[in-house]
Amino acid sequence: MIPDRIIEQGTLTTDGSRAAVEVRLPWYRALPASCIAGAKLTVDGVEAPAESLRWEMNGRTFTFPELVPNTEEWWFPTDSAVLSGDIPVTEDAEHTVAVELVLYIPYIVIGADEVLHIEEKDTKTMSARKAVAA
Amino acid sequence: MTAQAKGSPIQGVTLYSFTRAFHGREYDLEGLIRKAAAENFGPGLEIIGFSSFRGFPEIDDHYAGWFKDLIAETGLVTTSLAVNADIGIHRDRLLSQDELLEYMRRQIAAAAKLGFPIARVQISITPDSMEALAPIAEEYGVTLALEVHADQYASHPRILALRDRYEKVGSPFLGFTMDWGATVSGFAPSLIEAYRRRGASEELLSAATGLWDEFYQQGPPADQADHGQRFGRFIGLAAQHGRPDLGIDMGINATGLFGPARVDDWLEIFPWIKHVHGKFFGIDENHEEPSVPVRDLIRLLVENGYNGAVSSEYEGWHWNYWQSPFDIIRDEQAVQRSAAADAGSRMTTDLAEARAQLAAWLPTTEGASA
Repeated sequence: MIPDRIIEQGTLTTDGSRAAVEVRLPWYRALPASCIAGAKLTVDGVEAPAESLRWEMNGRTFTFPELVPNTEEWWFPTDSAVLSGDIPVTEDAEHTVAVELVLYIPYIVIGADEVLHIEEKDTKTMSARKAVAA
Repeated sequence: MTAQAKGSPIQGVTLYSFTRAFHGREYDLEGLIRKAAAENFGPGLEIIGFSSFRGFPEIDDHYAGWFKDLIAETGLVTTSLAVNADIGIHRDRLLSQDELLEYMRRQIAAAAKLGFPIARVQISITPDSMEALAPIAEEYGVTLALEVHADQYASHPRILALRDRYEKVGSPFLGFTMDWGATVSGFAPSLIEAYRRRGASEELLSAATGLWDEFYQQGPPADQADHGQRFGRFIGLAAQHGRPDLGIDMGINATGLFGPARVDDWLEIFPWIKHVHGKFFGIDENHEEPSVPVRDLIRLLVENGYNGAVSSEYEGWHWNYWQSPFDIIRDEQAVQRSAAADAGSRMTTDLAEARAQLAAWLPTTEGASA
């Protein structure tokens, strides 16, 4: 729906071993944490190991399994979340960042006991600033 | 037989039309409401709860007061609050009926608290659930207007099942939102232009509009299986022309946004239409909507005595990055006003008149229990 805005330009940070980037909701309305079903973070073709991924939203940091049962925290459409993972990235150089998101759309029923899920991707080029990732 | 008194629909807009500007942080909610008022896109104002209100459906007294003051100050009238039945909010199961009713109750309460007389609900709510929600709607004095949207048009079996249930239940608080996306007459040229900008060949573009026209001639899909087959044909077409990457997008838009029912299909449910989404996709160089028969739709509303609101709902923002949604809304509302005049009536644009008209159009809690 709005995949071109998933990655916030210029928000890549690194502490040397982890990389983090701000991401935006590619949908028009807020979704609960339970509907954020998966993500991939890739920098210069290197994908962060799935178990190293963290999702920071509303000032709290979650693993992806922790998002699954959570219907209390919501991702508001004008808020950035922060996706981070284990990828060694050098400061100041230009990097190609790719983010893939899988979201469930909880009101669009597509089968007897199934709702729509969408997979959206974005890729942007930016330099990395030093920061401590989650 | 007396002739039906002509209707005078209330002009309005849904902030959904400006999703890209809000999402892009060009306007916050207050700024967007002020902009809509300053551009005279009202007096009717529709908002999507989960898009615009942080923490929705929890609305505290202070926030509700701030919001109502803002609406009063800007000279608008709140028409419909779009709410969502998030049946699939849990990963492992769908909501039970009791959970769904509670989930909807909180949103209906929020609509009442914010001063919206209608809650727009969606097709994921079954006739049984609508029947069970009727007393809740009456309790809060909020009309539930289920959206009839492409690809399920007014005479679709699922919509007729809802209509029949409404008739049985007999509550004036149950109705429909007519979404013009169910009765589209052509593939939106602005979407063709968007695919062109993404490098689609002229052959593919002309084949896509041709296939859409073929389905239009056949009429709307009979059921979900037929709908799925049409979806597949667009995917196949994109692949055949060397652009399989565009296939799903093309299928979703061509079959999920551009519903090919005829305008008079709305007569199947007309008495239950409480609210209208003036869904459209763009404006051409003649300042007309090239793919939605806005003039015919307004004529239908006027001639059948419709006195509720029309929220202009611009959906071309999904793909149109190159034109201002504000200019596009301005032009589409001019088409609506011109069409209403051509049909021997007018759009209601005066605030006091719109308030009085909406109050007379919708049921009150007292009326429901009388």
